Amino acid sequence: MYEAVVYLQELLRHPVVQSSAAPFLAGLVAAALLYHVRLEGLAALAGFLATVALVGNFALDPLTATRKIVIVGAAAAALGAMTDLAFKPTRFGGPLLGLIFGVASLWVFATVLRQKLPVEAVLLAAGVIAFTAWLAAASVALQHDPARAGANGLMLGLGAGVCAVLGGSALIGQYGLGLGAACGGFIVVLWILGPRLGAGHALTLSTSVLSALLASGAVLLAQLSPVAVAPLALVPLAARLPLSRAPLWMQPVLAAVYTGVPAAAACALAWLSGRGWTW
Amino acid sequence: MTRLTLGALALAVPLAAAAAPETYKLDPHHTYPHFAVEHFGVSMYWGRFDRGSGQFTIDRAAKKGSLELTVETASVSTGDNQRDGRPRTLDEHLKTADFFNVAEFPQMTFKADSVKFDGDAPREVSGTLTLLGVSKPLTLKVERWVCKDNPFNKKPMCGGNASGSLKRTDFGMKYAVPAVSDEVRLYVQFEGYRP
Repeated sequence: MYEAVVYLQELLRHPVVQSSAAPFLAGLVAAALLYHVRLEGLAALAGFLATVALVGNFALDPLTATRKIVIVGAAAAALGAMTDLAFKPTRFGGPLLGLIFGVASLWVFATVLRQKLPVEAVLLAAGVIAFTAWLAAASVALQHDPARAGANGLMLGLGAGVCAVLGGSALIGQYGLGLGAACGGFIVVLWILGPRLGAGHALTLSTSVLSALLASGAVLLAQLSPVAVAPLALVPLAARLPLSRAPLWMQPVLAAVYTGVPAAAACALAWLSGRGWTW
Repeated sequence: MTRLTLGALALAVPLAAAAAPETYKLDPHHTYPHFAVEHFGVSMYWGRFDRGSGQFTIDRAAKKGSLELTVETASVSTGDNQRDGRPRTLDEHLKTADFFNVAEFPQMTFKADSVKFDGDAPREVSGTLTLLGVSKPLTLKVERWVCKDNPFNKKPMCGGNASGSLKRTDFGMKYAVPAVSDEVRLYVQFEGYRP
């Protein structure tokens, strides 16, 4: 018994388990359980928080940028869930939520931006706000299509995670990979339950805001080139490519292939940037 | 009687001067905090910070002293600074949020105001280390302490070596524990000049 506990503890300490198997299972279980109360969109946050808990680097003091990312990501999921339950979708919902979380990204990275020269700080702040606002607004537009929304979250998370690892921060990389794995769990439940499963604001907003902040964090807190993360902005657009003729089970796979292209491009640019390529 | 008084005063002046607190400004070119961590439980991996500044004060008569040391975390250096086909060097990785998070915490500081003496020489310095926004007590043992005039410019100088240890997880630096040990050993070489 003791040996089994020790083995389990060692297993949970392994980075691969922390950022793939554990968040995948957490996302899958959360999607299956919360489906009954129409909150299955919180699956992405559940898996992400599983990674955060296992990596064990979360505390409120001092409130670093990485920790603020977790808080803002949780807030995005909570606000998304409230929006799903309390409001009817409107055309302006996505842009408004994008703007809110674009501004929130300033709070996340304020301590880092304050250390920069004024011009550099303004340019970086504008880039982070625009990137976060765009990803959130474009992803929220996928809220009614769980296959597209799941694939969007999967590839945004994996893309941001791999870019962060290549850009120098394993911690941010693990967070991104955990988010992607959680969306993988959501997609498995989608295969089982079919289109009854909903993504909603909860899934689309949390995955997009977290991915944008993690990718921005890899730029600001590590050595990742901003050019490398730029293709991630195309992921929500790729998720809109036609799926209608594909069978239902095939739709998330096809959407993942579409969204995987810009995510892979981001990873390739991050890899090239690490080998000394400059733009 | 007057001669005797003047003679006594003449003797007392340098003694009083020696008893006064003396302040030394740390020489950044001869003051480097080094650190060592276990890698996979196999070897001790060494690194240092290339840029630091500060000062220390010593009052031998009152057996008191203080130290202020500020270290630029972005100057962390292990010698692993060529990528050689890898996506990053160890020095680059150490600067990220996984370790020293230099973008958010460009400095770490050690402020000490408790000094234990062995005769005229300080033997132990206790204070507060602030790293990654977390402040924790730290004690350094002064293993070597020498005061003399610089042989070239004749300025009064003191310096030596001090060592201590800390647990990096106490400061929130949890990445890669236990593959890279939690315990960090510190070895500080320092030299300071009286202005």
